[in-house]
Amino acid sequence: MTGDETKSTILSQELLLSLAEELKLPLIQIARRAEQAGLSSEADLKPIQVSADSALRLIDSYALGVRLATQPENFELEPVSISSVLYDVGQQLDALAKSYGVALELNVAGRFAPVIAHRQGLQAALTSLGATLVEALPAQEYSQLSLQLATHRSRYGIVAGLYADTRQLAGDVLKRGRHLQRRSRQPLVTISHSNGAGVFVADAILKAMGLELITSRHQHLHGLGTVLKSNNQLQLV
Amino acid sequence: MADILLIEPDKLLAETYFLALDQAGHRVMACAGAQSAILVADRHQPELVILELQLVEHSGIEFLYEFRSYPEWQDIAVIVNSFVPPSEFSASQELLRDELGVVAYLYKPRASLQQLLGTVSKHSPVKA
Repeated sequence: MTGDETKSTILSQELLLSLAEELKLPLIQIARRAEQAGLSSEADLKPIQVSADSALRLIDSYALGVRLATQPENFELEPVSISSVLYDVGQQLDALAKSYGVALELNVAGRFAPVIAHRQGLQAALTSLGATLVEALPAQEYSQLSLQLATHRSRYGIVAGLYADTRQLAGDVLKRGRHLQRRSRQPLVTISHSNGAGVFVADAILKAMGLELITSRHQHLHGLGTVLKSNNQLQLV
Repeated sequence: MADILLIEPDKLLAETYFLALDQAGHRVMACAGAQSAILVADRHQPELVILELQLVEHSGIEFLYEFRSYPEWQDIAVIVNSFVPPSEFSASQELLRDELGVVAYLYKPRASLQQLLGTVSKHSPVKA
């Protein structure tokens, strides 16, 4: 993909529209929760904080994606430990996952060489992806509400992703979603009740970093993630 | 006060709507999708349905067609409370109202809890 194509992905009207639609959800959650607190004189502010943080995280990820695509010269690559990125993603998603009743599990067993990547971008993409999946899992009506942040080796490199016991994440769900993004209010209809902007923001951030969002399997779970090339020289450092 | 089937896929919004309806004295059965909604309706016989149209896999419209196919559920009022703007249904208002029994359409970003409670109150069956 050329630099111009990467820019057009993150700056596309479809993605902006997706983002605007997606932001309605946390804003409605905040507005209605505040109204409910007023009606009942109950002042539990935690749900409001979680929704506000969710909205801010999505905007911030999108803005980072735009900067990565438009000013790549300002972003330096560095040796990154995937396990540590996944740990940080888990921390970022913790409060949201608790609110949605989703158990987050970190599965980074095994030693992996560091990869050369833009740490902040990788973390933002995986967090954005994770937030969408956390919100989507309860809507899929599965009794098993858990999301695994995991990494494994494949013949293409090291795969880092988010996995759940749901067949909805399998097959050509991404391909169909990308195709439907400009045509449908719910391009990822088998995954999410919203328009899944978090997935498309992650897709755009990864593209801006020369990576790709893919569907992947980890043990018996299905998920979304990206493939990173390990650097064996760095492992010796 | 009514027995309400709330079909809301977002867990946080469902909790807020549940609290508001519960505090207003209604009995609420909440579910996230169309399939479980049919099962819950069968088990609990709701008097009113609040429905989001954007659900995972089966849409709210699919739910409505299935729901209305059962003779015992023909007269139960359905209030749509959705992210989908009503303007997207401007050509099918009659279908929603006359065939699928939608008594009110609330656009979620603009509909306050007070409006939802008022609409529920207006369309709740009168009990002796």
